Amino acid sequence: MTAAPHDALASASLVLARHFHRGATLWCWSPAWPTHAEHLAVEFVHPVIVGKRARPAIVLAPDGAAARLRHSARPGDVLVAIGSGDDAGLLDVVGRAPAWGIGAILLAHGERPTIDTGANVVWLGAAADHADIVCAYHLLWELTHVCSEQPDLLDGAAEASTCPACMDAGELGEVDVATAGFDSTVIVAGLRRHIDLTLVEPCQSGDLVIVHAGVAIKRLEAPVILGATRG
Amino acid sequence: MVEDTGFLYPFLGETARDPAEVLADLGRSAAAKWDESRTLRQRTLVELEAELTQAAIPAAGRVRAGGRILALGNGGSATDASAFVRMCDAAAPRSLPAISLAAEPAVLTALANDIGIDVIFARQLAAHGRPGDVVIAFSTSGGSANVLAAVDHARRGGILTIAIAGYGGGALRTRVDHCLCIDSDSVHRIQEAQTAVAAKLVALISTHLERPGPS
Repeated sequence: MTAAPHDALASASLVLARHFHRGATLWCWSPAWPTHAEHLAVEFVHPVIVGKRARPAIVLAPDGAAARLRHSARPGDVLVAIGSGDDAGLLDVVGRAPAWGIGAILLAHGERPTIDTGANVVWLGAAADHADIVCAYHLLWELTHVCSEQPDLLDGAAEASTCPACMDAGELGEVDVATAGFDSTVIVAGLRRHIDLTLVEPCQSGDLVIVHAGVAIKRLEAPVILGATRG
Repeated sequence: MVEDTGFLYPFLGETARDPAEVLADLGRSAAAKWDESRTLRQRTLVELEAELTQAAIPAAGRVRAGGRILALGNGGSATDASAFVRMCDAAAPRSLPAISLAAEPAVLTALANDIGIDVIFARQLAAHGRPGDVVIAFSTSGGSANVLAAVDHARRGGILTIAIAGYGGGALRTRVDHCLCIDSDSVHRIQEAQTAVAAKLVALISTHLERPGPS
């Protein structure tokens, strides 16, 4: 067994507390084992400790999570995704979350995920079992409430939506409607914007691009999170 | 459950502190609780070794004769019940027939709205349950009224009842055929141990289904 992922849990808890402080809803998703998402949501909505504040948390069904988040989440919301670190579908949604303006926390077991975006990653180790996963999100819940009760911790600036694929002030965008010319629609930080795609054409709906000054300057060939099992 | 966390974090005073320092303290606290959880789970599986086998053998016998596992619980224990069913699907060497009575929102809300929350599982057992089935009841407190009503109904109907519960089993302890109790005062540590006990029980039932032992 690897060392306890305690420091990553503490950091993720502060991220969650800051999101709640700014009015976020927590979206819980555990596509390979849906009861973890259900359990996480009930912890936050109906705290086991009397007097703790109820927090808005919603379960995402295993299928259709990207569409739910794209259309029903608000910019500033936060996703906790639970699953194996080599689950390509899981990592794809976590990687797209910044385009939708959504913070993302990945609670991973099994293969260690290789991450190169701003997602907060808690890796529980290759040998983590279901009880370990339950313990991890119980601690995430508890530490989030502890952070929420420390006002001086909560007023930190919102996490910048920087993209590590671009050293400039680029933002991650997800192509919504690709049309020839200068008038395509791209979702950036949760807002649909008219973006010039001519530098990165051909594009299609769902492609991820780096947007700078109203122009898509790079098309990402792979999701911004690379699974551990990918070359 | 009333559980005050303030005393668990004495390092968090009123004065503003460097966030990095606070996070380091929270990380140490998380590490201690992680260890506490793993220790409790290991100790629980050792302490319950005989009782787990005593529950698994008749459960396997029921399944072998055509019985089905019906899992139930409230809140976090509802997710334990549904997870138990998923574990039954994936069990080795043999998968186990199981359904979760906690995963039916239309049925649950219909019963809660039309009759009352105390019957949400008992009424489902009236519909699904057959003599020879096995009920797995999860209750962190051991005292949930609708869980007690369900196991009472089940026993009257010839259904084997197994509880996985905290706080010494509570009222459930004397109302079921087998009570697998977790000895802890923390709801969360109990639930984590419940998960470990559930996984072990599924594995044992599956093993005894494949290779019948003495009963």
